[in-house]
Formats: sequence, structure tokens, C-alpha cells
Amino acid sequence: MNDIKKLQRKARGERPVFFEDPNVDKLISMIMGLAGEVAVLHDRSDTLERLLQTKGLVKQSEIDSFEPSIQVQGERASWRKNYLSEILRIIESELEDQKSGDREPYEKAVKRVETN
Amino acid sequence: MSAENQVHPQTKHAVMATPTHDEFSRQEFVRSYKNYLVQNVHSGNQTRYEKIIKPKFEKTHNRAPKDRFEVGKEMVHDPYYQMFSSLLRTSQEMMWSSCQMPVNRDLENLNQKIKITKGTKTLGSLKLDTKLQIPRYHTAVDIHCQPGGYHTEVTEDDASAGLVYDRAVHIYAMGQLGPYNDDIGASILLWLKNNHPTMAPRKILDMGCSVGHSTVPYAQAFPDAEVHGIDVAAPMLRYAHARAEELGEKVHFSQQNAEQTNFKSGTFDLIVSHILLHETSQKAIHNIVKECHRLLKPGGLMVHGETPPYKNMGPFDAFMLDWDTRNNNEPFWARSHEIDLEKLSKKGGFDPKNQFETLIPSALQVAEAKRSKVFQGGDFGGGGLWFIYGNMR
Repeated sequence: MNDIKKLQRKARGERPVFFEDPNVDKLISMIMGLAGEVAVLHDRSDTLERLLQTKGLVKQSEIDSFEPSIQVQGERASWRKNYLSEILRIIESELEDQKSGDREPYEKAVKRVETN
Repeated sequence: MSAENQVHPQTKHAVMATPTHDEFSRQEFVRSYKNYLVQNVHSGNQTRYEKIIKPKFEKTHNRAPKDRFEVGKEMVHDPYYQMFSSLLRTSQEMMWSSCQMPVNRDLENLNQKIKITKGTKTLGSLKLDTKLQIPRYHTAVDIHCQPGGYHTEVTEDDASAGLVYDRAVHIYAMGQLGPYNDDIGASILLWLKNNHPTMAPRKILDMGCSVGHSTVPYAQAFPDAEVHGIDVAAPMLRYAHARAEELGEKVHFSQQNAEQTNFKSGTFDLIVSHILLHETSQKAIHNIVKECHRLLKPGGLMVHGETPPYKNMGPFDAFMLDWDTRNNNEPFWARSHEIDLEKLSKKGGFDPKNQFETLIPSALQVAEAKRSKVFQGGDFGGGGLWFIYGNMR
């Protein structure tokens, strides 16, 4: 994806809010943005598979019947773990706070530096 | 592959922005996304209205909602409608974004290709007026959410808005305007052929022509006529000129406001516009009709293509059609669809006896039907009809 720098990105005019909580509107926009990127990835791997097939390098059926070895399964599982951990970072970080006992309200930290 | 997934691609030409593999996929996603909303989500609003919202309203008021405003007051609280609206607005924003990407990536090159070097022999012409005031109805909000609207220039000799628009129109209509986005023009031409078969206009004007996608078919249908396209936005006209030349059609483009042009009175035999009126204002629409009257020769014809007016439409349908007014930066959409067209003609100087308004079939759909007599599936969205309003001078 290239950076959009030259063209104006936001259309002039107030963006409508449909849900009671405007953040829900933003979430919808994010989810559909992600859905779009997944579709782009899908097309890209589809292109690769078709090119490989056309060039006689790999058959579609070979991909469909590909059985990952135990080693590959392990590597993929490990990739997925890291992947999920990145996505669910927000939940993990909450847990980490609880584990470390670092539950001091943030305001306290502000007060501390403001008064000391 | 089912008929509803049939793709109607845009025909490529040399001056358009060529997307990369991923950019193209992104655009295709938006088209499918919009198509899905139209086919699978939109109708759910009516179900919600009929089954839940209307009965609830009737219970408390002892009557049905009387107009689109009353329907709207209830609908905006419905979670289904909220989700639908949020998804639709998002699809519009993603459409512009996906069409901006290839233009942004290669803007210098694209503008260079579009710029026709002085002295090059061309079929048509381009006349820009840097002093022309962009009307307030185009600068207040960016119409249909195109960032920067029709008129914004980001560099010298810029055609970026036109480059983006040509592709976005195709995605917006989900291909239903045909491979050259020319169906509205082609449909008016088909109507002319059937209703004014002897008409052979020598001078034709297309008002608010943007990238000339509806202008070109007039040049094709009347090769001996002098065809003019005017618009207030320079980036559109630069692109329109290069595009028409690329397609081998002779069109004269000039930067002018349709409310007040610099053509001499009685110049044209035929004046057309294609979904222009709803993107103007109450004052402007009257000025435009008046200007058409001034510019037409006696016996000349004015034809404005639009989407259908609200009259004869139930409150729910009118409310849904009105979605764009509030949610897609189309501020004049609602009011423009409620104007008394007979009065509009009369105020413009026309004889209301010669006024007409009617629904006309889409030329593309007529052609498709001829091609596949056995099976006519697929979604033609707007029902394959256009609304025209006009007057004979």
C-alpha cells in the first residue's frame, strides 16, 4: 500500500454518526477496512496459485491435498500464537498488570510527578 | 458463478490510472461490498420497517407515519438501519480511497500523459478559465464524499479528481453504467431516437459533463454535430479532453458554470445534462433552466437525466432514497427531487405545454436483453430506468 500524501483524504463535510456510541461507527469502518485487506491477500495468493499452475510448477490439487508435516504444523501453530498475541495484546496486557500487581490508578502517577 | 456475480469490467484506455494487482483487488472488493449491501442488506430495512417500526408507530399514534420525516425519526434508532447506514457510508469512503491509491502513486506520470502539448493536433479542444468562481454548492461539502470534490487541484495541470472519478463512477454503479460509464447518455440517445427520430442536432451542449463519460456518446451518435461539454471543475475537464481524444471522439470542453455560460443565445439544438441538477442548488437549478432557454434555438430540446422524483413514492421509499442527502454529502438531493418541474420550466421561460417528464429504459439493459433473450438475470440496481425531464423551446 502506498502512502496517500498528495490527494486530500477526507471529504469536506461532517461525517454522520449512526450508532449511539460514535466509536461503533469507527469500528465498523475498521472491520471493513480489514475485510478489504483480507480480500486483497486472498486475491494475491489466488494469483500465485494460478501462475504456478499455468507454469506447470504446482497443481491446484497439490495445494489442496498438501498435508503439513508435524514440523510445519508446529511452525504454523507458533506463528498463529504470536499473531493472536499481537491482536489480543490489549487483553494480555491487562493480565500482565494483574500478575505484576501493577494496579495503581494512573491518576496517582500523575499526582506523584506533579507534587514531587 | 451465478449471474449476480457476473462482472462488467470497465474498458481500459490509455489515459486512465492503471491499478497494481493489489490496488485492483481493493477496488474489486469495494464493488462486491457495495453489491452485497444492495442485494442482501438494503431490503432488510423495509422488513424492519414493516414488521416492527410501523406497527409500533401505529400503536402509539393510531395512524401510519405520514411522510419520510416521520419514518426517519423512527428509523434512525433502529439497530439494523444504523448498521446498514454505517456499512454503506464506509463503502463509499473505501471506494474513493481505493480509487485514489493508483492515482496518488503515479500522479506526475498520469498528469503528464493527460497534458496535451500545445500545438498537438487534436480532434476536440479544451478551454480553461482559471478565474471561474467555483460555486458554493460545490465547495461547502465535497459532493458524494469525493475528497476534494470535483474541483480541487493538488498540483499544476492537475487531473487527479478526474482520474479518480472515472474509476469511482464505474465502481459506484457496480458496472451498471456500461464499460464506458456512458449509459445515461446512451439512454437519452435511445429515447431521442424513438421519440424524435428525425432530429439531427448540429450543435449539442452537455452541462456539468465532469469526465465526459456521458458526453462522448453524443459525439458518436451525431458525428457531424459540434459537441460541447462544460463543467466548473478544471481537473475533470483536463481528463475529459484527454479521454475523448483517446477514444477518438471530437468534443469541445470548456470550464463554465451552467448557470451562466458565455455561449451566444440560440446556439444549440440540443442541451443535455446527466445527474447534474441534484448537485446544484435551488437558485442554481432555476438559473440553469433559464440558461438552457436562452441557449436553445427555437424548436431545440433540453433534456436533463436524473433519478426519479419523490412524488408517487411511499414515505418509506422516499426516506430510503433520501439517505444520500444526509449521509453521502448530497445536500440538494432531497429538495431537487421535490421540485415542481412544470413550474421550473415556466420560470425558465419555456412553454409548459412542451414540457415532459418520464422514465426511460436504460440503453445498456435494452442491449443486454437483446443479447440474451433466454436468460436475463443479474442486478441492474436502479431498476434499469432513468428519469428525464425537459422542454422543447
